[in-house]
Amino acid sequence: MNLDQFKPLTVYTIYIASTPEKVWEALTSAEFSRKYFSGFAVEMEPKLGGSFVVHAPDGSEHIRGEVFEYDPPRRLTVSWNVNWPDLVEKLGTTIVTYEIEQAGEAVRLTLSQRHDRELSDDILSGGRTGWPAILSGLKSLLETGKAPHIEMSPPVRLLEALKAMGIKVP
Amino acid sequence: MDEVFKALADGSRRSLLDRLHARNGQTLNELCEGLAMTRQAVTKHLVILEEANLVTTIRQGREKLHYLNPVPIHQIGERWIRKFERGKLAALSELKRQLEKRDE
Repeated sequence: MNLDQFKPLTVYTIYIASTPEKVWEALTSAEFSRKYFSGFAVEMEPKLGGSFVVHAPDGSEHIRGEVFEYDPPRRLTVSWNVNWPDLVEKLGTTIVTYEIEQAGEAVRLTLSQRHDRELSDDILSGGRTGWPAILSGLKSLLETGKAPHIEMSPPVRLLEALKAMGIKVP
Repeated sequence: MDEVFKALADGSRRSLLDRLHARNGQTLNELCEGLAMTRQAVTKHLVILEEANLVTTIRQGREKLHYLNPVPIHQIGERWIRKFERGKLAALSELKRQLEKRDE
């Protein structure tokens, strides 16, 4: 896959009082992700070309992807494909990159979500609702040892848009 | 958090955020188009917005793209708007929108 064809459509930055190594671990381990990502478990084979899977709290496979850039603890790029029938066929692959940089005593974490085509704000609203909550939770967890429980309401706008495109949603 | 409020306390900077909200991922040239501000003024405002982390940038090839970063605003919301109030606020916003629409 040629990553140059993917344009960032959503980019978020957060500063966390932590170390790049701890941020990397929190992004790539189920033990951490369950605490800040509404019970979702991130499981990654730590190598280029390895698998990247996110299990929902009920144990089902929610996201399946592959590791495209692997440079711990600085840069990680994975494909982030939600396992709903026809979704990848209609929306194309979603690419997610985490960039981790030291910024004084803090760490600057930048997340970008890239696509190979233009997508509507309705489709992008899912990530735009979810990511700030996930990143805030990650920050709280690393800084205080505890992530607040953030009630994530279903992404209604996204689900409606997917239905309109003929994609079956749960 | 002081930086966020200072950055937001300026109409020009809020209009730059509005432009990014309408279309995310613009270059400096795109952001300057049709604005009554000089390029230098836009650059200066963008620096303040970046320092407040309300705007973040990414390099794509030779271009520097600007993105609205709502993370600090989300954190303000988490701090002062409790979970159970969110539904009521959303309902009030919707009511306001509907009532204002009727007057159009």
